[in-house]
Amino acid sequence: MSFSAKQWLTKIHDLPLPPKVRIMNVCGGHERSITMAGLRAALPSNIELIPGPGCPVCVCPEEDVYAAIQLALEEKVTLVAFGDMLRVPVNVSKQAVRSLEQAKAVGADIRPIASPLEALEIAQRADKSQIVFFVTGFETTTAPVAALLAQGIPDNLLILLSGRLTWPIVDQLLATGQAQFDALIAPGHVATIMGSQEWAFVVEKYHMPTAVAGFTSESLLAAMYSVLRQLIEKKCFLDNCYPQVVNEQGNLTAQRFLQQTMQTVDANWRGIGIVKQSGFQLQNSQQDAKLQLTDYSKVARQRMGTMPAGCDCAKVVLGNIYPNQCCLYGKSCTPRSPIGPCMVSDEGACRIWWSGGVHNDE
Amino acid sequence: MQVVEIQGFNARCEAKGVERTVSLFMLQEENIVVGDYVMIHVGYAIQKMTHQEAQSTWELFDEVLAAESPHA
Ligand code: SF4
Repeated sequence: MSFSAKQWLTKIHDLPLPPKVRIMNVCGGHERSITMAGLRAALPSNIELIPGPGCPVCVCPEEDVYAAIQLALEEKVTLVAFGDMLRVPVNVSKQAVRSLEQAKAVGADIRPIASPLEALEIAQRADKSQIVFFVTGFETTTAPVAALLAQGIPDNLLILLSGRLTWPIVDQLLATGQAQFDALIAPGHVATIMGSQEWAFVVEKYHMPTAVAGFTSESLLAAMYSVLRQLIEKKCFLDNCYPQVVNEQGNLTAQRFLQQTMQTVDANWRGIGIVKQSGFQLQNSQQDAKLQLTDYSKVARQRMGTMPAGCDCAKVVLGNIYPNQCCLYGKSCTPRSPIGPCMVSDEGACRIWWSGGVHNDE
Repeated sequence: MQVVEIQGFNARCEAKGVERTVSLFMLQEENIVVGDYVMIHVGYAIQKMTHQEAQSTWELFDEVLAAESPHA
């Protein structure tokens, strides 16, 4: 039997809820669906929905963005990147080139793409000239890049890899108490690739109610209902509320491509620091732009690695504050003139809240 | 999206009148046929879609409990 969003809401309102429950999501797509459907206002007021680390663009190391800009400017490579990386700012002086978009404006060959297959096409058409594909994303996006590598890429295509895994940051949040929440909505697209089982640790290690959700209101509400009832009945388990595409194992072919072409390493998250085993690194050094070309990510600069001055993105990403609690939100920082990556990316909580109509600090 | 034509690792898919060519490379061990629905991400089909609707395991628990209850 399946319920409508309205029926799920009634079921949730009928639960004997504790005075306060905080549910974290770790996926920009979830946050977008929640905000656009107005679920916060429709739920009982004792439920807090916290947007957590769900935006790979927001945590992409500042050094890597800087490196991408320099490769395009100094080494004259053709740099391709997913579209929402183009406006992410780095910390350089006001006169210097601060984003890929600005580098493009001063003549660098930078091309926004929507699929790894476009990077391949551009490289094949470019004959011998050097193409660098700047890869950002969580498992769902990194796996197709692994598939591309497994299928074979031409010699003139190098990869600047900043892919990240989601579960290690959640593990770190829970282990250190860096974020306060009572239940977790696990990311549906990541689980599609990696399997729901990857999230079992939240239940087993931390005894926290967890449910995998998809992107419809029905699936998100089913997951919320599940974790709330798990809390109330003190019976934690990993629920899968997105059976349409998620199963325990995930896509084993995709996982094999990831293993064949990449390894997981400790990795830096912008403004947050090193998170254990949370980054992907290429197995084949011949394909690695950092090893084959000058590694500009190592060039020492002032404020390197940090968020832009005054920007609270790191706290937003960790779920410590809501976007509108940043003092720049909606004032000097809007999607039109973003200061931090959370206002640049479609998966950034600041941008989602702003486009969802949160325009004051209620 | 729904698969309308398959050629090697490429599939033409359609949803709401929009057509796209996507890679089936990540689903090469699945038996994908014309008419199947697939979930697409950055140009790749990442999983075959089933018809299962959003649900929570509590519904199954409740059904089992209701069936076991002598008053049901
Ligand atoms: S509102 Fe802007 S400056 Fe503040 S945290 Fe968000 S992106 Fe950063």
